[in-house]
Amino acid sequence: MLTFTEELVLLLNDEDGAPLPIRQDIVACALAGAVLMDLAFAYRIDTDLEALFVNDPTPTGKPTLDRILERIAARTEVCDAKMWIGTLSVEEAPSIHEQTLASLVESGILTVQESRLPWIRFRRYPSSDGKTAKELRQHVADVLTSDEIPDPRDVALISLLDACEILPDIFPRQEIEDFRPRIALLRKMDLIGREVAGAIAEIERSIIQAVRARAAQFKKLLLILSIAAGVAAFATLVAPRFPVADRFSALYFERLWFDGSWQLWSGFALLGLSGAGVLAVLLLKLRAIARLGGFNWWRLAHVGFGIACVLALFAHTGFRLGTSLNAALMGCFLAVLVLGGLAGVCTNAAGQLRKWGIKPKQRVIPIRVHIVALVPLPALLIIHIIAVYLY
Amino acid sequence: MARKSILHVCWVLATLAAIGAVTVWMTVGGDREVLLIGATTDAHHQFELACESCHTAAVFASRKAALKGLNKACRNCHEDDLKDAEDSHPRKKFRNPRMSVYWEPLDGRSCTTCHVEHRPEITRKGAVTVAMDFCEACHGEGDQDVRTDRPTHAGLTFDTCASSGCHNYHDNRALYADFLVKHADQPWLAAAPVHALAALHRSQKPLEETALGREDALAPAAALADETALDHWAGSGHAAAGVNCAGCHAPEVASGAPLAEIEAGWTDVAPLTACRDCHKQEAKTFALGRHGMRQHPEIARPRDASATVLDAVLPEGVTEWLSDAPYPVLMTVKEARIPMRADAAHESLDCGACHQPHAVDVEHAAVEACMSCHADPHTQAYVGSPHHELWQAELAGDAEPGSGVSCATCHMFKVERRGTIFTSHHQNDGLRPNEKMIRPVCLHCHGLGFAIDALADEDLAAGNFRGQPAVHVESIDWAVQHETSGVPNDER
Repeated sequence: MLTFTEELVLLLNDEDGAPLPIRQDIVACALAGAVLMDLAFAYRIDTDLEALFVNDPTPTGKPTLDRILERIAARTEVCDAKMWIGTLSVEEAPSIHEQTLASLVESGILTVQESRLPWIRFRRYPSSDGKTAKELRQHVADVLTSDEIPDPRDVALISLLDACEILPDIFPRQEIEDFRPRIALLRKMDLIGREVAGAIAEIERSIIQAVRARAAQFKKLLLILSIAAGVAAFATLVAPRFPVADRFSALYFERLWFDGSWQLWSGFALLGLSGAGVLAVLLLKLRAIARLGGFNWWRLAHVGFGIACVLALFAHTGFRLGTSLNAALMGCFLAVLVLGGLAGVCTNAAGQLRKWGIKPKQRVIPIRVHIVALVPLPALLIIHIIAVYLY
Repeated sequence: MARKSILHVCWVLATLAAIGAVTVWMTVGGDREVLLIGATTDAHHQFELACESCHTAAVFASRKAALKGLNKACRNCHEDDLKDAEDSHPRKKFRNPRMSVYWEPLDGRSCTTCHVEHRPEITRKGAVTVAMDFCEACHGEGDQDVRTDRPTHAGLTFDTCASSGCHNYHDNRALYADFLVKHADQPWLAAAPVHALAALHRSQKPLEETALGREDALAPAAALADETALDHWAGSGHAAAGVNCAGCHAPEVASGAPLAEIEAGWTDVAPLTACRDCHKQEAKTFALGRHGMRQHPEIARPRDASATVLDAVLPEGVTEWLSDAPYPVLMTVKEARIPMRADAAHESLDCGACHQPHAVDVEHAAVEACMSCHADPHTQAYVGSPHHELWQAELAGDAEPGSGVSCATCHMFKVERRGTIFTSHHQNDGLRPNEKMIRPVCLHCHGLGFAIDALADEDLAAGNFRGQPAVHVESIDWAVQHETSGVPNDER
């Protein structure tokens, strides 16, 4: 029988064996929680009001679980489940993931496929028999759709996935919305044996707290940066032109905006930053590189590139909007940046916006307009570059 | 294919199509107004869509080559002017490697260092696109620091070099120190204030034996039916000089040809080439000034797509459609960037705009023609000004030829070339900066000190020189002071 950790790792990959686009910190929390649940179901650990402690230090026979069990047993200070989730998710999650994948490969459930790009190595773990992962996903879906009383392990696994908010990454979002009443019911049902129920509940609570804390931390940062990007872009639109010095000895800024060679460099910097911003989003969408630093970092990079674009735009134009095609390009660029900032606000302040009565459908509008505004940008940008080189 | 994929493909195709279309537009033909990155300077705006006039470098040339091409284009049109102006800062001076120390602060080898097009925000007086205290770049320190050996210049700021009426970067013909000293003691008005070349020009009369009368007019009957035109011609300089109707209306027909041939080659509207064939100098200088700049030979012709490789690959008629529309040959009043009369907006500037087609009245062209279009304060203040009174006195025969001052006296002054005196139609030759007018115009009647002061007094100039200047430019005083101190004036 597969452990929670193994089932979770199987569910974290898509059918081709590539990692699903799930935030890395959440995956780390889920892995830490899965290991603790495995140990709880094996009666090796338990919790009380203050601490998570070892019941039985006997090895389980699973190297990953035993290593963690040893570590918990070796700890002399009193630590609760929340602290262990935090510690394991930061210090042990990558090795848990690697070891579990290796174990699944060893047991013949997964195979390894490697592909290389010039600088990046991709590794995929497709199912060797084409069945196990598929059947597991189908089994979870069956539990969520049927009215039958499920196995306690299934309830624990679903609770873990729900606590980590990764069910929408595994199943289509619409289906999850349909599953919601059933998930709520399963979590209310007292199906897990009394011996481990307390520990599992405590682990779940700890995971929820950890996931929310980390998400809140990043959301706050992303929100601040999104507001900064949007406001800076809007300021570029409405701010008066940076004045031109009327003294020859103070021509630094004037050269920045009116000297062709300076403009060339700032223009290419702007082009590079814009490309990097788009690339960051494409990397977010590409599952194969989901493990390159985690999704939050790519989102952060995307917003960071947006802010850098506003700065480069200032260096390139000095708040000058240009004329004709240049004005169209500037308008398009600023629209993308302002709407990007707004989209960032809508994404990262969803809770607050929900309180203000703004519905999810309304919250995605800025994201969609942000993308639509991007449509003419490549053409305008390339035309601008061609015109500069032609004239 | 998924909907999203179809949209992506459409997006890529539309982007490529837009880039391709605009690239063809930029390189083959089509109105490029939308591609202008900023308003062109005054005068250049007349041919701003003939981009190849200035952008002469090959497609995707290096920046260095592009700049070289731009600078060559500047010289193509302005080099003769700079030679005539005895340019104080000629390019050849800065090409000397010993001057390399000055290339970094202000590279005098390139026109585009100080004059960049399409930058209205930084375009100052004289189409200068660097701060007006640019003299500091070279004369602010070291051997060239003008303040070290000239006590008169101590404490002066560099923004006053050109704005005070003392110096110009290029044309200092009337402002260099030796010239100032030489003309230091001139009275404000000469004892016999006459423009010598104008007087000589007006004294030239056509030969009487070649003069034609009303009865000599040879033209199709329909043309001869226009009695007014016939009367005008009979009293014109053309008739006096023996130029019959066919000279302008059938310029291709040989002189003395019979009426039948004249009728065959007749055109009701005389072509500009007919004027140019006889008035070569006037036509040449007309194309140098703002009135006729669009006929300047260095202005690029419209692009002809049928002359490119596209003609072989595109269906018939497409390359004609892609080609540039003909560029306007004539400047129109409504396109001017200085105040003009609204009722003249429809006028275009061919020879007939100032010279009535048949009367060819140069007196009309010298004043009334100007005033029929220009509406700036200087023009509007002309009538009743001292210059106007002198002009009227000359026309009335109460004053000697050349003593009157019309608009043309100052702005289309007489020039002598190889023994021939003609009217320069380069109306901008004495402007921007207006000190260029001092030697060919002002000094014929006025002293140098008065002329410098008067031209530096913007209010006086706007009021068409009614009264004495309220501004005093100290350049003559300082040059004399410097001379008497024993140090030679080597400024020029």
